[in-house]
Amino acid sequence: MKDISSSVNKVDSVIKMSGEAKYVSDIKIDGMLYAKTVRSEHAKAVIKNISLPELPEGYYFVDHTDIPGKNFVKIIFEDMPVFAVDEVNYYGEPIMLVVGEDKNVITDIISKIEITYDVKTPLFENTNSAIDYHFKKGDSKAAFKNAKKIISHDYHTGYQEQLYIEPQGMIGYIEGKKVTLIGSIQCPYYVKNAVISILESEDNEVRVQQAVVGGAFGGKEEFPSLMACQLAVALRKIKKPIKLIYEREEDMEVTTKRHPSWIHMEAAIDENNGISGLTAEVAIDAGANIGLSGVVLSRALIASTGAYTIDNIEVRGDVFLTNTVPNGAFRGFGAPQMLFAVEMFMQHIAKEIGEDPLELRLKYLAKQGDPTSTQGEYRDPIIMNDMIQKAMEMSNYKSKVKEYENQGVSKGIGMSWFLHGCGFTGSGEANHIKALVKLEKDELDQVTILIAAVDMGQGVQTTMKKIVSQILDIPLDQVIYNKPDTDFVPDSGPTVASRTIMVVGGLVARAARQLKDKWVDGEKLLVSERYKQPDYIKWDEDKFIGDAYPAYSWGVNIVEVEVCPVTYQVTLKGIWSVYDVGKAIDERIIMGQADGGILQGVGYGYLEVMNHENGRIKHKNVTDYIIPTTGDTPPMETFLMDNPYPLGPYGAKGAGELTLVGGAPAVALAIENAINKKVKKIPVTPEYIMELMKNG
Amino acid sequence: MKNLIPKTYLETLELLSSGDYRLLAGGTDLMIQRRSWSNMLPKFRKSTLLIFNLQEMKYMFEEDDFLHIGAGTSLEDIKDNDLTPELLVEAINIMASPAIRNMATLGGNIGNASPAGDSLPVLYVLNALIVLESIEAIREVPISDFIVGPGRKSIKSNEIIKEIRIPIKQFTQTKFEKVGGRKADAISKISFAGAVEINNNIIQDFRVSFGAVGPTVVRKKSLENEIIGQTLAEAKLDVENILKSYEPFITPINDQRSNKEYRKEVALNILESFILTL
Amino acid sequence: MASIKFNLNNKETVIEESPTARLLDILRDKYNFVGVKEGCGEGECGACAVLMDGKIVNSCIVPLGTVEGKSIITIEEFSKSKRHKILQESFEEEGAVQCGFCTPGMLIASESLLNQNPHPTDEEIKIGLSGNLCRCTGYNMIIKAVKSAAKKGDGLW
Repeated sequence: MKDISSSVNKVDSVIKMSGEAKYVSDIKIDGMLYAKTVRSEHAKAVIKNISLPELPEGYYFVDHTDIPGKNFVKIIFEDMPVFAVDEVNYYGEPIMLVVGEDKNVITDIISKIEITYDVKTPLFENTNSAIDYHFKKGDSKAAFKNAKKIISHDYHTGYQEQLYIEPQGMIGYIEGKKVTLIGSIQCPYYVKNAVISILESEDNEVRVQQAVVGGAFGGKEEFPSLMACQLAVALRKIKKPIKLIYEREEDMEVTTKRHPSWIHMEAAIDENNGISGLTAEVAIDAGANIGLSGVVLSRALIASTGAYTIDNIEVRGDVFLTNTVPNGAFRGFGAPQMLFAVEMFMQHIAKEIGEDPLELRLKYLAKQGDPTSTQGEYRDPIIMNDMIQKAMEMSNYKSKVKEYENQGVSKGIGMSWFLHGCGFTGSGEANHIKALVKLEKDELDQVTILIAAVDMGQGVQTTMKKIVSQILDIPLDQVIYNKPDTDFVPDSGPTVASRTIMVVGGLVARAARQLKDKWVDGEKLLVSERYKQPDYIKWDEDKFIGDAYPAYSWGVNIVEVEVCPVTYQVTLKGIWSVYDVGKAIDERIIMGQADGGILQGVGYGYLEVMNHENGRIKHKNVTDYIIPTTGDTPPMETFLMDNPYPLGPYGAKGAGELTLVGGAPAVALAIENAINKKVKKIPVTPEYIMELMKNG
Repeated sequence: MKNLIPKTYLETLELLSSGDYRLLAGGTDLMIQRRSWSNMLPKFRKSTLLIFNLQEMKYMFEEDDFLHIGAGTSLEDIKDNDLTPELLVEAINIMASPAIRNMATLGGNIGNASPAGDSLPVLYVLNALIVLESIEAIREVPISDFIVGPGRKSIKSNEIIKEIRIPIKQFTQTKFEKVGGRKADAISKISFAGAVEINNNIIQDFRVSFGAVGPTVVRKKSLENEIIGQTLAEAKLDVENILKSYEPFITPINDQRSNKEYRKEVALNILESFILTL
Repeated sequence: MASIKFNLNNKETVIEESPTARLLDILRDKYNFVGVKEGCGEGECGACAVLMDGKIVNSCIVPLGTVEGKSIITIEEFSKSKRHKILQESFEEEGAVQCGFCTPGMLIASESLLNQNPHPTDEEIKIGLSGNLCRCTGYNMIIKAVKSAAKKGDGLW
């Protein structure tokens, strides 16, 4: 039997290469109407009056008055209205839809809508804390009291836009009372549940299907539920099919982005130049609604010691509400922000206490058996030492560090170490999701995988099939895995948090083994598996004590740069990475994730600028928000090290986010090492580099 | 509003004299600037004349010590033509993308008159002449007189940019530098074109221009004249003064791409580096 | 409105439409060639790329009037060719397809490049694909795939 990691051709490549794959905007339904969203023109205002023009026949307004249920998108808190009622809290907040057949008429109608606002003073500073968390481990107060030296620094990370090449969109139709939505989405059941809530409908009156998804990265995790609610309300009202596709600028202005963060770090240094205590204070900007920000903050705070074990820590954080676009999920989900701060801080501590950064970091590198930041335990082997050696060998790291130290500003090399907790934080998996998977065998001995996991390019359609095919010892094409449709698949949970292979794949593997035991040629059979939390995983949500995650994946990124002394521009010269994802279900797919993730993470670190001005996103199109092109991409080399996790299918852990989270600190450290100035914020633009060189 | 596709160049001139038209060639600027919702027509405020397919406007030849480029010639075709001066090839090479270069025309890049237009600093330094034609008359104007402000040209409503004439000249050294947000598909934060002629260590000709750091391309012949006649060594020793003399003419703005401090400093750094590496 | 006559996917066709209509909209909506994607509408991402007389253009910014008398090839037609087959094999072998949204554009860009330069260097491949944005793959697998296709398809281009 072949090693499962052995790469196969992805099952959906051909259809994508011929142009036949149907993304949501490619879908046409007879008689479909178009919808366009009317949005707030102010960051904060009271709506005093809306004066609507007369509607021609076949055109409709859809607003909060059409909502049967509660006017909130069901996510965690009741805090994001589906349509604004009498106040708006961010520029671009949806007020109503205009629906009809001809886009010219819709545009004309919208131009005639007069909204009278009583403009209020918007809040952009971090003063309105909606959620705050605080936890400790050990006694950091004592450590700081007895410190020989205290080192403190402030770090800042900006917005990051997912920039999936396919903009957000959804199409829907209604038959009787049943609403069907087809969308570019990551979480069919999030959408279904949100729609049931907004329509106050029965479970069987809502159907959600995934179209082929053109990239998501978290941007299509919770946001589509808002579109779905609006569309569902419109469908119930108008009773004709409706298509809602966002324009790129619209998408960039109003959909969720990575939370900007401000992180204050302090370290207590004892008389042996050891880090006896560490504190972190984290502020994240949620925008106008909380959404998933509390969970993002949790993950960030849990990552406050990064790949290191520090005995005495105190960590606190706040989710701040501002009158800007609500922020949300993006690959890494709070970890990229924190890991940037931690990695830079470790380097800055080393420099200030006169220690070699590599030596200092090795001293505190986490080991198997160590307590985690939340007093859980790293139960599984940690092979970071080997990974670090390998990465340094691959890149010639040590000799380059020496060589580049004293040659002026041009060249630099930086290395980041990081981990990513796989799966939902804490007890989310057990208490909220309770994933269920099914396998259905037909008389032709074909096995259909019934799960809600979405292939958004990460190759899940292929890897899930591989797991089943390998366990049942049947050819890959005897396994069927269609795009999730809630009429047919159980809720195996959202396609997020690097949980899909480890958790859902784990359940699919168990179901396959069950099926193997019960297999009879030519007979129909249905098996199911439900998630059960391992007994030893205990998590106190309020105190942040216990095992935040069942497993951790680990990584090392090394980035080499050249900084131009004339223009301060950064050229990436090479990227080397080593990852421990337990076991790759398909090596080439993981390598593809590695390439894409690191470039996205590095882009976050040096290239991608997004700011708002008075609450309006300034970089709102693909010309102004700069992501890497082929011209910016250096040679990249990735090495995977097996470290099988007993509870993952074939030993697999999470991989989806790991490959992004280390990119920004690696490139920031490379630039810092090149220019010999402390880098405290990302993206490290040429403008910032110039500032550092002149004032640093 | 009409959108016409004239069959000949003459027809184009006639139409321009008979009505108020927006000239639309490759569309790589106008189709973006006028874009609307998908499946809706771009929002042109005037009737348009689509001239991309006028073969009469696509040509390149040398005559009378000038390189003549038809305004309808695509950037990609100009780039691939052996007659094109190296400096212009360098600029086109890092403009936009292959897809854009296949449709964008030199006439369009000039007609758009963007402060950040990448061919412009090169055309200024090469002393390019813009040939304007109407049904009544044909005239030639130096590019520095033609572009008068951001997006503004000294052109009559019935005139078309017919041709670009570049004096044929060999330079000892030329340099084009573009500072964009990334290595391809970027709008310039700063651009620079420099050309020198050096004989026996004496600077016989010195031309530099900057793009994206002012409302139009910055080129100062008076400052160039002060450098012409110096020896290479003298010029290099004098570089601080040269930078100081250029400084007040470099007047960039803050925008979503960059800030004034960076643009000014880097523009001068590039000039310094140009002089010191001669 | 005007009558625009052109060769679309190897078939002569005439269409009555405004000359300033975006070629992208005409291809997707009037001819139903939805393999041509809209990623940005501003000529930046290349997802809308088609071949005009064998060269890559961004159909979201091509005015319909300019295609008069020209040959336009979309991914649907290109995917019938031997060249596409070689590219397809190479893309599969290198793992160059993830979400697939940039893929038709990347294949069009590859064809446009190899058409002009059958044996490009890595640098030349990067330039040829520089107008096609991808967020999933990090590009290197795509570049390797084009290099491999050029080698395997020796003589085809």
